[in-house]
Amino acid sequence: MIKENNCNKLIEEAKNLLKQGKVQRIIGFEKGSLRFTVTPLITSDTDAAERLVINPFIVNNLSNFLTGLKGKTAIVAKGCDSRSIVSLIQDNKVKREDVVILGIPCNGIIDLAKVEKLTGIDKDKIDNISLNGDKVLVSFNGGKKEFATTEVLFDNCLACDMPTPTEYDVLIGEAIKPKPPVSQDKLNELKEKLPAERWLYWQEQFSHCIRCYACRSVCPACFCTRCFAEENKPQWLSPTPHWQDNLLFQITRSIHLAGRCTDCGECERACPVNIPLRSLTKEMYDIVDDVFDYKAGTDKEDAPLMASYESEEAEDLFL
Amino acid sequence: MSIIKKIGKQDLGKLLEEWKQGFKVLAPSRESGAAAFTEWNGKDASFTDWYRNTVTPPKSILLPLVEKMFSYTKNEEGYKLETPPPDEKKQLVFGIRPCDAKAFNLLDMTFKDDYQDPYYLNRRQNIILVGLSCKDPYACCFCTSLGSSPSDSSGMDIMLTDIKDGFLVESVSKIGEELMQNTKSLLEATDDDKAEAENNRQAAIQKISRKIDVKGISEKLRQCFDDESFWQDIAAKCVSCGICTLLCPTCYCFDINDEVTAEGGARYRSPDSCSFSVYTKMPVENPRSEKWKRVRNRVCHKYQVYPTLFNEIACTGCGRCIRLCPVNWDITQTLESLPSSEVKDAK
Amino acid sequence: MEENTDWEPRIVGFLCKWCSYAGADLAGISRKKYPANIRIIKVPCSGRVDPLFVLKALRLGFDGVLVSGCHPGDCHYQTGNYRNRRRFAITKKLLESMGVDPRRVQASWVSASEGGKFVEVITKMIDEIKEIGPNEMFTDDKRKQLQ
Repeated sequence: MIKENNCNKLIEEAKNLLKQGKVQRIIGFEKGSLRFTVTPLITSDTDAAERLVINPFIVNNLSNFLTGLKGKTAIVAKGCDSRSIVSLIQDNKVKREDVVILGIPCNGIIDLAKVEKLTGIDKDKIDNISLNGDKVLVSFNGGKKEFATTEVLFDNCLACDMPTPTEYDVLIGEAIKPKPPVSQDKLNELKEKLPAERWLYWQEQFSHCIRCYACRSVCPACFCTRCFAEENKPQWLSPTPHWQDNLLFQITRSIHLAGRCTDCGECERACPVNIPLRSLTKEMYDIVDDVFDYKAGTDKEDAPLMASYESEEAEDLFL
Repeated sequence: MSIIKKIGKQDLGKLLEEWKQGFKVLAPSRESGAAAFTEWNGKDASFTDWYRNTVTPPKSILLPLVEKMFSYTKNEEGYKLETPPPDEKKQLVFGIRPCDAKAFNLLDMTFKDDYQDPYYLNRRQNIILVGLSCKDPYACCFCTSLGSSPSDSSGMDIMLTDIKDGFLVESVSKIGEELMQNTKSLLEATDDDKAEAENNRQAAIQKISRKIDVKGISEKLRQCFDDESFWQDIAAKCVSCGICTLLCPTCYCFDINDEVTAEGGARYRSPDSCSFSVYTKMPVENPRSEKWKRVRNRVCHKYQVYPTLFNEIACTGCGRCIRLCPVNWDITQTLESLPSSEVKDAK
Repeated sequence: MEENTDWEPRIVGFLCKWCSYAGADLAGISRKKYPANIRIIKVPCSGRVDPLFVLKALRLGFDGVLVSGCHPGDCHYQTGNYRNRRRFAITKKLLESMGVDPRRVQASWVSASEGGKFVEVITKMIDEIKEIGPNEMFTDDKRKQLQ
């Protein structure tokens, strides 16, 4: 797990960068207003930098805030987040020299929804969640229960193969070797369904969508100032949340993000109605890996996936 | 004179079944993956084991996600317009919480104003609210700061309160009284039951941990309206999704969209959000293209504009916006940190 | 799948102006017969085709979508068809993983002189779509009615 005492090193770095005028602002995590919750801290105030935290709940992909910022920014980035930053650099939305990346080698983030499901207790009634190596201890109702980290980490953390940031200026903590990926039960279950069943599954899931666009808003790779969903000349899809248009939106979004999605899992976490979005986005992530041997955000010198080509590829799909 | 009865936990299903004969009963369910009010499955009432509050608020019963306003078909003779038929049965919402029931009253103020919205009112006039007072408020709840409470019955027709092994059932409105008079499944309530219910109600109020002071909030907001750097700071971490607005029981903005084909089409109304960057986009300009303006607008609409128009804060402290915001943007923190200045006329 | 002998598949084809559209023209001029089930949309280059077009076509109810462009290396705009190749590959594969029959969405390289190939591609595709059946991906009847 991320060691809490690395926090002091992070705070020191952040304050120095601000004091020396090397950056206009820092973006990191601070304690949130609910239990076991963090919230983004975006500040140019050195005193505010004291509030920076590192803990097993730092879930947001802060690179989402980089697009459109002027001047230089210091940003806290876990493995997946740093890849998103690289992806933004590849897309020319962010200049490398405008960011100071404070990399956090990450062993995984705790999924509170999983803890709630396993304990049967809502998170505001849990007393404490602490971790010890590969075990997580949850105290509630005067008792304690222990879980393996593989039971309570986010699914995308369990599939992570780049826990140490690929691109950074300062590494806060020791580099971490990737762990063997854990079986993705939710994704496998879907793969086992017959094709007709799978399409019906997606129809059902997207009948719950309320078109809050949280999936799009928390995604760093979704940076279009005018999303195709908001075009009205022509109108590609109705703003009314018919399941057909909800589904169309998400499929198109996944395709538009191909080669830029780093499987940070934020879309699925943000969805208020618990649509398993990652079952779709990870599918695209895997397709991109299979067909083009490409993983987003690994090398900032790379051209974006969909802006490049090989002389011969994917010919089996063409008549 | 209100009627007070009770129902045992094991008989709740029987009660709902009885009401189902005359109404479309809506109750909390987790079938869709997130807690919401859906048509009661007719099986059991075990939702009371886990139910605290839903994700999607019950406003979606009055302001549905997809509302067909009318449809039309085109043939050789011309156009034929069709309005959707009215609901067959009256609706009974079982288990609505005080914050959400009060929200219905707040919504009424808008939809019964100069223009009486027929789509909203048709449903509003045909709905019975059977509320359930809270025994277990969330950490994000702050209803007591806004003139409500875990056992506030305003807006409800009947209110249930948890007691040992069941619920005290009390009529609140004339309609609720009539319904209770005609309901056979209810049992007599003893004085002990009534005392226990009152104790439980008081205990629930004590559990509210989130409190804000809204005295003079309207004036404070009016005074810091032009403080751009304050609002820039406040809005910095907002990502402009629509969660807070779409899941707010008092938010009511909507979008209308026509869907046409060669043979006909339909006009649909659906919820919209002032948080979206294109919400105020017009051909010439977008007055709220900047995020800080949208965040400011949302806070001010609820805590300053609505009170000016209707003398009520358009927030009931349900806490959904805090609980479900992907970046934990917290309106109570914003309201507590308003730049203070001399408040001349407290509202 | 019940027999509905009245149903004729409707396919939309996005054909690039310089090669595939010309190839289709050539098929016509050469009096080659091919089924009339295709509606052609001329695009300047297969690289113009956003996967959104393919999805929108399916949403509108087209039973099949064909995207056709110049052979790799021969694009009038040098690299447009390479863009199309990557985009189309991921679109087709994603739809397939979601349970859509991959034969609904097809792509080909047809040059201006390949009138014959165009006829082959279309005829084969329409036969396949006839086999799969009408597009009910986005129809409400196939799942419980929403409000």
